[in-house]
Amino acid sequence: MTTMTAPFAYRDTSWPVLERMAAAHRRSWTMLAEPGEWWTGAERISIAAECRRASALVDGLPDPGPGPAELPDAAAFAVHKLIGDLPNVTREWYDETISAEGMSDAHYIELLGVVVHVWSIDEFHRALEIELEPLPDPLPGAPTQTRPAGAKDHGSWPLTILPEDLDAPEADIYGGSERTANVRAAMSLHPDSVRWLSDLFDAHYLSWVEIGAEQEPYRVLSRPQRELVAARVSALNECFY
Amino acid sequence: MLLGRSSQDNDALNLNGTVFNEVDSGVEHGEALLRYSDAAVGRTADLAQAREALNAEIGPDAVVDCAATIANFQRMVRIADGCGIPLDPFSRQESAKWRDGLGIDTFRSRGNTFG
Repeated sequence: MTTMTAPFAYRDTSWPVLERMAAAHRRSWTMLAEPGEWWTGAERISIAAECRRASALVDGLPDPGPGPAELPDAAAFAVHKLIGDLPNVTREWYDETISAEGMSDAHYIELLGVVVHVWSIDEFHRALEIELEPLPDPLPGAPTQTRPAGAKDHGSWPLTILPEDLDAPEADIYGGSERTANVRAAMSLHPDSVRWLSDLFDAHYLSWVEIGAEQEPYRVLSRPQRELVAARVSALNECFY
Repeated sequence: MLLGRSSQDNDALNLNGTVFNEVDSGVEHGEALLRYSDAAVGRTADLAQAREALNAEIGPDAVVDCAATIANFQRMVRIADGCGIPLDPFSRQESAKWRDGLGIDTFRSRGNTFG
């Protein structure tokens, strides 16, 4: 389940995975293994392991087993809901989840950050039928339990931070922009999840500064082709937003 | 994220083609891109064939780029629906012109976005 060698080498596939993409995946595994603000490194690995268990359940595959740390029941359930029952994620469910034992709004957002990034990298592998990368060994350390002071209610279920409310510790998360999309700010209660999102968004799709600008030369699909795929994936997930 | 596409100045893409297979999306190699997307997200048995068809049409670099785009939006939809993020007023107004035609007003997650 764990590995000591450099991950995401992509040596055993004939698909031409760009090094900039592989590097982003390696950074993701480094972030995954580190203790977060609300979960230990071992708990974060367990969230990732639960993500793979949920996916295996959906796909009718053998259970790959739990991670190294026990998770609150509500956390494990949330992972399965986000992977296998997304159309039925509701405000009521969110409120119940963050009120459950061992959970809070900040715990949920950090959990969501782990789930979506691990799931995304795994989905890239599944689409190309590349073996999933073993999960990393957790790094020691305690969660810092630091909550951004500028987080407010801006209409999303969790509190979020607008660019004008950023304090020094999270001042970089929107790349210095004075405006940000709601989906980019959605996880700002856990600023590292926004940093993680920006890194993988850039590697997989386009950089935030590339929006409205010329296409980067390493992107192969045209912008309309990528938008077509993006919209189709959204529709298949019944994602209204 | 589908509504997010409404804010793009993207005349080359017919949004109806993203939802209805019988409608031409207007995008080059659109049919092969959609077939691969459907197979990857839907875990259908023809994933390898769909991927090879796309490879034959536009090459392996495009297949990797498409897989990355699929992976990106498998992530983004979970952020959007996992946080109940709202639409900004402009997108809400603009998307009203075509939402009904696409049938997406029936998505249960509409309630998450519109409250």
